[in-house]
Amino acid sequence: MRSLYRFFTSVKVAIVLLILLIAASILGTLIPQQRTHAEYLARYGQLAGLFEGLQLTRLYHSLWFIVLLVLFALNIIVCTLARLSAKLHRAFRPRFETEARHLQAMRVKDKARLPLSLGEARTLVVRELARRRYRARLIEAPGRVFISARKRISGIFGSDVVHLGLLVILGGGIVSGLAGRRGDLTLRENQTVAVPGAAFALRLDKFSTDLYPDGSVKDWKSRLSVIEDGRSVLERTIEVNHPLSYGGYIFYQSGYGWDWDNPSLELLVKKKSDPAYLKDLRLHPGEKAPVEGEDIEVMVARFIPDFVLDEKNQPSSRSPQPNNPAAFIEGKRGTETVFSGWVFAKFPDFTRLHSAKETDLSFELKDVKAPEYSVIQSARDPGALWIWIGSTLLMAGLFLAFYWPTREIRLILGENQGKTELEAGGLSTKSPEEFKSEFESLMSGLRKIR
Amino acid sequence: MSESTFFTLAFIVYFLAALSYLAYLFSRKEGRAVLGLRLAFAGLLLHTLALVMRTVQSGHAPFTNMYESLSFLAWSSVFAFIIVEWKFRLRRPGAYVLLIVVALMALASSPLMPKDATPLVPALQSYWLWLHVSVTLLGEAFFAIAFVTSIMFLIAQSREKKGRASGSGLSADRLDSISYRTIAIGFPLFTLGGLVFGMVWAYKAWGSYWSWDPKEVWSLITWFVFALYLHTRIVMGWKGRRSAVIAVIGFLAALFTYFGVNYLLAGLHSYA
Repeated sequence: MRSLYRFFTSVKVAIVLLILLIAASILGTLIPQQRTHAEYLARYGQLAGLFEGLQLTRLYHSLWFIVLLVLFALNIIVCTLARLSAKLHRAFRPRFETEARHLQAMRVKDKARLPLSLGEARTLVVRELARRRYRARLIEAPGRVFISARKRISGIFGSDVVHLGLLVILGGGIVSGLAGRRGDLTLRENQTVAVPGAAFALRLDKFSTDLYPDGSVKDWKSRLSVIEDGRSVLERTIEVNHPLSYGGYIFYQSGYGWDWDNPSLELLVKKKSDPAYLKDLRLHPGEKAPVEGEDIEVMVARFIPDFVLDEKNQPSSRSPQPNNPAAFIEGKRGTETVFSGWVFAKFPDFTRLHSAKETDLSFELKDVKAPEYSVIQSARDPGALWIWIGSTLLMAGLFLAFYWPTREIRLILGENQGKTELEAGGLSTKSPEEFKSEFESLMSGLRKIR
Repeated sequence: MSESTFFTLAFIVYFLAALSYLAYLFSRKEGRAVLGLRLAFAGLLLHTLALVMRTVQSGHAPFTNMYESLSFLAWSSVFAFIIVEWKFRLRRPGAYVLLIVVALMALASSPLMPKDATPLVPALQSYWLWLHVSVTLLGEAFFAIAFVTSIMFLIAQSREKKGRASGSGLSADRLDSISYRTIAIGFPLFTLGGLVFGMVWAYKAWGSYWSWDPKEVWSLITWFVFALYLHTRIVMGWKGRRSAVIAVIGFLAALFTYFGVNYLLAGLHSYA
């Protein structure tokens, strides 16, 4: 146990763990994560099984990566605690130097002879130190005064606060991983969906897409109502970057789509023999619509938003985006199908109708619309709060460690024939150069006294 | 005058600043370094005007595509350089830093980078865009300066070993300490902008503060490398060559996070 503790106090272990974490993280960005087995098989062939076995394909959630993080956390805890008592000691028991040679062994040092009595010199030194925001403590002995002055002593705890912050963040990550819930809710306007695991439901009152003048998407907005016991208790419009928080859940605008099972289509009917003939038909798939002045009814048998022929040469949709909308229409006289074929909104000339007899009619798919639905991500993440607390500690610690450098000056004043001999030494590991110039200005300020 | 006029003017003035610093390297006349710094400052002002005008014209933060973010990275590098110069009065790295800046500006103005201010996609419409990108790139700019001083250290050290003067006029020791101090400024900024602000924004926009997206992972890798740098140095007392090598690797990781991930790895961050 003791040797295990000693093992973890070693900074070398921390260095090795950091290098392992770096290597593992890099590996995880080289191997695409969380894909299907088929994809890995295509990419890595026989190695796919090995990679999956070693959990390299879900590396950041793998057991060994988590073990690495746990060891890292243990190392941080042990290293921090092992050094903490010495730091507390240093902070609460200021050190005095009683021998001049110790002062003169410090990196920044000086000596001076002041034309003042010991009492006057002491007052002056303390005042000059205070002017530079040093807090001085004194020990008085017959004919001698020992001074220990320092500022920004809290800076020495910076690294400890950083480490505490990191541990809180890691803890928050564990809480998120174990208790976090995430899911997508798909809502059409006026549809109400129960939020999984929660005692309330969400209703989408309105969904809208804002466009820029050039036609690109500016924003998606969903007006939501929170429904509790059948009553609306809160109404709020959410958009990207502006989620809704309610009851421990957060709801994000995460996407949108079209319900292509219920499109409404607009067909233009023309006659080759009569350029003035133009009829406008609005219909849903499966619906029959009579063509004015003809004894024919038109029906859309099938609709595809992004038409493509798949590998079996069958019509299918490449995506849910309306990139290449196509409708399969049938012309019927009674129960007899007179003609049929695909009509393309983007490629009107591509339309080919198969028919037993030549038909005079031609069709264009002028417009397609479908009810839009909004995809709302619902997330419950009790770890997030800890992440923010940890991050605040992390930043406070970094600020203390790097922007709040501790500085210490120790002095010995000794009476010598009515005058005062002064010896001083100082140290600041984090800001040696600024400290040196401050120390020099302090000493030259003291020397100026006549 | 338009944004592109100011951008071009800034480009020219940075170029003159680089020339002035180069002349200083060869002649060692103090005045040339002082002129270089003044020119860099003048270039920064012009560049700032260009960025402000672009913000006003486009109505959004000036770092939403590669052109804009390169331009902003150049701006932050000059800004970080002026701070480091004001703190440490190094003079010598000026030539190299400004040459990098000129290269960034040239890359930004190359025809490969579309310059049109396009409207923002919904996910980017947030004030977190300002906070996340600007603070991250500022942190990375300090890493870039530490990269330059670390390379200079490696050269100076190999010269000193052969018994010659360091060549850059700065002792290897001082370059080593400056590299550390510069990283110590950049590390908290990178942590705040890249990781913390990134997590907050991801939580607001995507509903999850961390998704192991390649860009997230690479910024974490960059962070780990600099954490390694700081721990080996502060706790284990590493200095000099080994520290400089880690600083160089860290900057390369930051560079890969910034460029490489966009072009080589697909993920959520596919904006720029």
